[in-house]
Formats: sequence, C-alpha cells, structure tokens
Amino acid sequence: MSEINKAVTVRSMWRKERQLPRFELLGKIMQRKKAKYSFLMMLGIIVIGIIGPWIAPHDPTKTYYEAFMQGPSKQFWLGTDAIGRDILSRLLYGTRVTLTAAVMASAMTFVVGTLIGVTSAYIGGFFDNLIMRIMDVLLALPGIVLALAIVAALGPSQENAMIAIGIASIPGFSILVRGAALSIKESGYVEASRSIGSSNWWIIINQLIPNIANVLIVYTTMFIGGAILSTSALGFIGLGAQPPTPEWGTMLNEGKDYLREAWWLATFPGIAITVVVFTVYMLGDALRDIFDPKA
Amino acid sequence: MKTPLLEVRNLQKRFLTGKGWLQQPTCVHAVNGVNLTVTEGETLGIVGESGCGKSTLGRCILRLIEPTEGEIVFQGRDIRPFKKADMHQVRRNMQMVFQNPFDTLNPKLTIKSILTEPLIAHGIPKELRQALIEDTMELVGLSKKQLARYAHEFSGGQRQRIGIARALMLRPKLIIADEPVSALDVSIQSQILNLLQDLQEQLSLTYLFISHDLSVVEHIADRVAVMYLGEVIELANKEDLFAKPLHPYAQSLLSAVPVSDPDEKRERILLKGDLPSPSNPPSGCKFHPRCWACMDICKTTAPALQEVEGRLVACHLYERNG
Repeated sequence: MSEINKAVTVRSMWRKERQLPRFELLGKIMQRKKAKYSFLMMLGIIVIGIIGPWIAPHDPTKTYYEAFMQGPSKQFWLGTDAIGRDILSRLLYGTRVTLTAAVMASAMTFVVGTLIGVTSAYIGGFFDNLIMRIMDVLLALPGIVLALAIVAALGPSQENAMIAIGIASIPGFSILVRGAALSIKESGYVEASRSIGSSNWWIIINQLIPNIANVLIVYTTMFIGGAILSTSALGFIGLGAQPPTPEWGTMLNEGKDYLREAWWLATFPGIAITVVVFTVYMLGDALRDIFDPKA
Repeated sequence: MKTPLLEVRNLQKRFLTGKGWLQQPTCVHAVNGVNLTVTEGETLGIVGESGCGKSTLGRCILRLIEPTEGEIVFQGRDIRPFKKADMHQVRRNMQMVFQNPFDTLNPKLTIKSILTEPLIAHGIPKELRQALIEDTMELVGLSKKQLARYAHEFSGGQRQRIGIARALMLRPKLIIADEPVSALDVSIQSQILNLLQDLQEQLSLTYLFISHDLSVVEHIADRVAVMYLGEVIELANKEDLFAKPLHPYAQSLLSAVPVSDPDEKRERILLKGDLPSPSNPPSGCKFHPRCWACMDICKTTAPALQEVEGRLVACHLYERNG
C-alpha cells in the first residue's frame, strides 16, 4: 500500500516538474473534442503532404493514352483528367504544393506582420499612426486584389503567388498583432524593464512577443487557412502554379470546362480544398477557445 | 551635514488632455513645482491621497515619464537633459520597486530570467551573474531552489520580494518604492517593510518611499513629505509631523489614521467636498475650498513652502508677517 502511494506521489511530482508551457498546450488540445479532432485531422493532412509522393499510385504528370477523362475505376480511383492523368495522384502531390505555399506565405506574414505590429505598438505616437494608416490603406483593397496586383507585377508562378499572398495578408495581421501588443506594452513588467534600463529590442523580444505568443499562434493558424484559399484562387485564375504542377486550384480550373461530362475533374480538388481549409479554421477556432475562453 | 543624494528642484509634469482638432488643449498639472532633497541613507516618505501626483513624481525622477520642467540632481548632476547612454548609467544607481507584484513580473519568464534582466541590460559578465542572483535571493529571503519557477507559483509577498530582488540586482544607491506594500495583506506588509529596513542597513540604501498609508510611512520613513494636488504642502521629520502636523491638510490626513485604543478620544477632521480636478485647480492655495481655516488671502495667493518650526510648510497660517 505504502509502496503504491509512494509511486503515485513520485509520479505526480514528476508531472509537476514537467509542466512546461509547450506540453500544457498539447494537453489542452487533447482535452477538447473540437480541438482534438481538428488537430488530428491537420496532423493527417500534413502527413499526407509529406508522404503523398510515395503513396501516390501513379505519376501525377504522366499521360495514360488509353484513359482520357475516365470516371473513378479500380485502376484510377478518382478518375483521370482531360489529358489522361490520374487525379488521385495529382491530389496527393498537390497537398504538398498547396501546404508549402500556404505555410511559406503565412510564415512571411507572421515574421513581417509581427515585426510591424509590435514595433508600431511599442514605439507609438506619430510612427504608430503613420504605419497604421498605411496598413489601413492596404487593408482597404481586398487581399486577393492586392495579391493579383503583386503577381501581375512579378509574373505568374508558384513562388510569386506565395510572395503575393504573404504580402497581401500583412496589413490585416499586423493590425491584429498591434492590438495585442498594445495591452502588453501598458503592463507593469514592461515598465519595470524600462526602469531597469533594458534596451527596447530586448523588451520587445523578451517581454512583448512571449506574452502575445498565444495570439500569434491563433492568428497564424487562421491566416494559413486564408492562404490556402488564396493559393487555390490564384491557381484557379492561372496566376499561381503553372501546369503541369498538380496544384488544387489549377486542377479546379482545368476541370471546370468539363463539369457536365466529367464531374470528378473539379469535384475532388474542390473537396480537398474545402476539407483542408475547414480543418485549419476549425483548429484556429479551437486554439482561440483554449487561449481566450472569454471570447 | 550629510550630502544630498537626490535633489528635485521645481519639478513639474503636465499631461495634455483633450487634444482634439478644434478643442483648446487642456492640461493636468500632475506634479506642480516639487522641491525635495533626499540625503544619503535616509528614507523620505511621500504621502498623499490618490491622484495627488506622488506616483507621477516617482516616475518622473526615474524619467519613466519625462518631466515637463525642473531639475533632477542625482549624485551632483542634473540628469534631466541626459541622453540615453548617460541615463542608462544613472539607472544602475536608481531603481524602482513597483506597486503591484502581480503585474510587474513577466508571467512567461522564470525568476532566474527576471533577475538576470538587469545584469544583461548593464553588461555584467556571465561568470558573475549566478553568484549575484543567489546572493540577492538570499538577501530578500528566498531560496535559490526557487529560481527555476515562474512568477505565478509565488504568493503576493514572495513576488514583492522578487520585485525587490530585481531592483537590488545592480546594488543601486537609491530605491524609489512606489506603494510597495499597498497590494499586500497587512500581515505580509510588515514583513516586507522589515525586509526593506534590513536591506537599507545592509546595503546602505536610500529610499524614496511613496505610499498613501500613513502608518506604513510612520513605520519606515525618516522624513515625510505630504503632497496635495501635485504640490508638497508639508515636509517634516517623521516625529514632528506625526506629533503635531501644521498644515490643515496634514492635520486632517493624520486624524484619519485609525488608532488601536478604542477609548482614546480624538477629534476627526472631516474634509468637505472632494479632491478638486487637477486639470482645473482652485485659485490661490489649492486646498482652500476644503480648508476650515481658510482666510481671504488663501483664495487669491498661493502660499510658498517656507520654514516653520524646523520644517517646511506651505500655508498662510504660519507666515511670519501675516
């Protein structure tokens, strides 16, 4: 009996020691239904993105001359497209393309947006006003229009679409970050840091950013969802990934002309986009519930 | 005669309010021409009710808020025109302990990182840091085993000890303590006050102790400055002030201190009205609308701070020729 008790206390002590913030988040995700399922689904999608090329049954760019626009069958599970390429394989390859584009674009938004938002909030005054008015002007243009303009200037390609989407979502992101940073700026520990004589950069990196980390995580997740949509949208109008790259938006575009004769061409990429975006938004929403139970 | 460590001359801070497009800008005179001298090794208490500018005064001295006018002479040099680099050096000798221990410690950092911050900011070599941190933890009565913990794992009193430790890391000369115990339980308050007194002896510190609590100030201060609406109205040795306050406001303030003996008969002086708005202060002596000894001159002329019975009082009642 005492042996058991001892074991239990030792274990609970060990647990207490290990209560680091990063494991705390994972634990909280697993406790909630919505967070748990969206997280696991996201994990699944990422795994598909990584191993997609190996589990794909066919070469995504190879034309099967005996099978133009064939419906779902044993050999081609989701059918083939107008020039005889396997849709399932293209979808699997496309997961990686789409995810990479979205994550890279969001990473860019994250870095630049955080920098702008935090410095603007911290410096305040005229500088803050100037930056935020510029952001307002950029925000007045719909993101996709801004992205279109940038792609038009840079030329259509997957990389340029990524850059364009990244830049286009910076204004919205930085305004959100600024709002979160403002409340931390007024806190006692930032004032304490200033009275100690810490440099402004030190305060921004060590006091401001760690304390808005939860906000950053939530917003970044949400922005990844938006970035996936935008990537597909740019692909759809032919300004994103160029054929024969198996990108979902491009596939959707290729399939739209044959909707009557071959529904599977556009339907499956459409479902793929919907599922991924839905998952990301769900995850973002669940994360926000975890970090900010009041909202 | 001891040398003054800090001398504040005619310090003023005006906050602009109502700065609209067409509005006439109005301003709040938070600190209005304060003169103070803090000699080395003493504790100067600053008391006053909420909104009288005592915290603003403390922050102005550290230049966390830029004063509008006046001189802050610290260790013989006026630090107000100092540029960033010079001010950085000054901060090494002048640190602040804040009011709310729940707000002033970053929840994302361990105690060790919080205490390391001043050392990084002032370029203390890495080899010395650990020993300094452990020494300071011991000084404030905490164990070095607690260094790996986060602020939320501590009680209010312990957090305030951490706040004090952070201020002490660089072994400053002057500590500006802005209501360091007002957020704590009474039982913890005395512990922290005793700690502050012990530290003063051990490290020969000088305190500028800001508080609204007269009993706390009576416990810790050597001299006390009473502030009203941004001005010092009486500055006296603690014993003198608590035995016989001269300024009517100081008298009413002291009469409000609860005494432990229920049989002791005392006259409570209840003030009429509220604290006037500092953006639109009364003419003459700012206290005159609430003063029971108000004379005609009080309504028109502001009294100057002058020496009366070995202390400084700003009141027409005690003017020699009046």
